[in-house]
Parts: sequence; C-alpha cells; structure tokens
Amino acid sequence: MNELLTRPLLFVGGKGGVGKTTTAAALALRIADQGRRALLVSTDPAHSLADLFGRTIGDTQTELAPSLWALEIDPDRQADAHLAAVKDRMKGLVHPRAYDEIDRQLDLAKLAPGTMEAAMLERMAEVMALAGRDYDHVVFDTAPTGHTVRLLSLPEVMAAWTDGLLGHRKRSAQLDSALRHLGGGRKRGDDLSRLENAADHDEGSRDARLNEILQERRRKLVRAREQLLDRAVCAFLLVLNPDRLSLLETVKAHKVLERVSISVAGLVVNRVLPDEADGEFLLARREQEGSYLEEIDRTFASLPRVRVPLLPCDVHEFETLRRLGKAVAV
Amino acid sequence: MGDDEGRLAQLGRLLREFYEAPYRGAVARARREEDDLFMLFVFAELMGVPNPAAYYTLELQPLLLERFHEWHQRQGLEHSPLDDFRCC
Repeated sequence: MNELLTRPLLFVGGKGGVGKTTTAAALALRIADQGRRALLVSTDPAHSLADLFGRTIGDTQTELAPSLWALEIDPDRQADAHLAAVKDRMKGLVHPRAYDEIDRQLDLAKLAPGTMEAAMLERMAEVMALAGRDYDHVVFDTAPTGHTVRLLSLPEVMAAWTDGLLGHRKRSAQLDSALRHLGGGRKRGDDLSRLENAADHDEGSRDARLNEILQERRRKLVRAREQLLDRAVCAFLLVLNPDRLSLLETVKAHKVLERVSISVAGLVVNRVLPDEADGEFLLARREQEGSYLEEIDRTFASLPRVRVPLLPCDVHEFETLRRLGKAVAV
Repeated sequence: MGDDEGRLAQLGRLLREFYEAPYRGAVARARREEDDLFMLFVFAELMGVPNPAAYYTLELQPLLLERFHEWHQRQGLEHSPLDDFRCC
C-alpha cells in the first residue's frame, strides 16, 4: 500500500458512508506529515471536508496544517463563469434587442443535464494539473462510485466528440482550399461589422478561432485522460466496510472502473472490529464480519488490501486522523 | 500587337471561367454542406438531440451565429426555427 503513496494523483472512492472522506483526509495528512505537499480535494456535491476539519474551506486552496491544503470544488461557480463568458461573446454579436433572449437561453443551459458534470470535470482537470507541480500529491475525495465513474469516463466521450467536430472542420478546410484554386474560398474582410472583437471580423479568422477552441478543449481532455490512465501517476483506492452491501457495491465499482480502463490500485477495508473489543454482542458481530473479510480477501486476492480498525470515537481531530493514516499507510 | 495580347488574355480568362465555374459551384456546395453539418452538431442540444459535450460546444455558438442565420434563410425559414435561439 505504501508504494501507492508515491503516485502524485490519488482518488479515494466507494459507496456513500463507508468513510471515503476520512480515509482521503487521513492519507493526505499522512503525506503532509512526511513533509510532502498535499492537496485534499472534495468533488462530492455535498461537501463534508469542512465538517471534518471544523472550519470553512470552499473553492479556494485553504491551508489546514503544515504541507496540507484542502479544496471543495464548486461546479456551480465554474459553470456560472463559463456561461457568463459565452453570454458576453454572444452579446457582442447580436442586436441588443436579443439580449433577453440570450440571457434566457444560457440560464436554461445551466440547468441542462450534463452541464454541472462538465463544469466539475473542467475544474477537476485544472486541479489534476497541479499534481506534481504545485503539490507533490493531490488526493481526491470522490462522490459515490456511479457519479465518479461517469465523471472519469467523460474525458473519453468528450474527446471523441471534439475529434468528430475537428474532422468536419478539416474536411471543410480542404474543400475551401480546393475552392480557392478555383477562384473562390472564404471571404477575407469585414463581414461582421457589429462584432466588437476585431480578430473575428472575417470568415477565415472566425474559422481559425473555432478550430483553436476545439483543439484547446481536446488538449485539456486528453491530458486529464492520460493522467488518469497512467499507472505511474494515478492510483484509485476503493474504501469499503466489512458488510454485505458495501462488498457488493465494491465488486460492481471494480468492474465498472476496469471497463473504463481505470485500474483500482488497492482496497481500504474500513471499520474492522478491533481485537480488543469484547462482549457477547461484539463476538457475534465479529463472527459475521469474519465471513465478509474472508470473502473480500477471496474476491480481491490480486489487489493490495489494508484493514483499518473501527475507532472508539468519532474522527474529527488531527490526532485521530493521524492514527487512521498510520493504519492505511505506515 | 498589344491589343491582340490583351484580347487573348481576356479569352483565356473567359475560357477558364467557363470550365471552372461549374466545379466551383459544386465544391462550394460541398463545403457549405460540411459547414452546415458542423453547425447542426454545435446546435444539436437546441434541437433536442442529446449532445454529450453541450457545455463545450456552447462556446462555439457565438462564432456560428451568422452562419446559423444564413442557414435558416437558405432553408426558406424567414426567422430562426428554434424557440430558444433567435438570431433575428
């Protein structure tokens, strides 16, 4: 398991409530305590890092301890900024009469399915780019598995889409060059007098701008995808509890992640009853737990696994987080 | 003499035009179709076609506004056919 902590990009995932956030926080703190700079990032729309550390964090990199920073991604803010930029550009192109129309349409776009995911992905890609640069490690506390898998498969889908669009642009450019040999081709000149941006004033440069935007998007998506797939860079850890539902969900998550070619690097079996816990009730629980632990070992024999004991108290202080961190990675 | 050369050049231009014009039309149409298709992909979401990259194609729309306007006029629609997207 320790070997995994050398990778700059760590994702911690699993079913809701198994202890993803505490595990991610414990790992990040462990890394920070070893003197490496760690950024802990929450992507869950219902953030709980702030609750865990008992202080406000939000969408800015906030220092929590020496070498430890945290960030709660707010896709809302990202989407707003993106839409505002598009609005501004559009308003430079149409009659002021149409401004209301543009506002209405773009406000609707914000509610469209996929907008928040795309905004989240964009922000995640930005943060991922910090790994190995501003920070030695970036640790993602992800949302429950289904959401995360979709998010992680987005770069592939989107890159395919932009590739398709770029293909059309290329064919159009080829035809245009043929046309120019025949004495035609795109107009170079002022065919958009209302446009404020002088660089876009002719059809040719507007075409170039279209290609530029598409290429830029594609570059970002491909880079995010490359980071996710590079086993030297990225590790995905699944957290689970020794119980039936958690085990079943983890089996599913493992399959789905493999399908999108993201390899699961290890399992954290959280909240295992410690040996010192006694009493008849706990004895019965431990027996049942034993069968699940066995099943986990059998099902995931090929993955590195680590067991983290159930603690006698809540986890919300650095000391308890440190105890957890040492249990995950020595 | 110079007059003859001028006339010859003029004849050459005319002949060139005579041969090239039909091709120019065909290639221009092919390019326009390619551009229309691209534009429709960018505006797909507005027409109820799910577009996985809608968030990203949104920023291309301002650049295509003019072309969209030309397109719907070419299709014989005086005004934008989309309720949520009016260019005129």
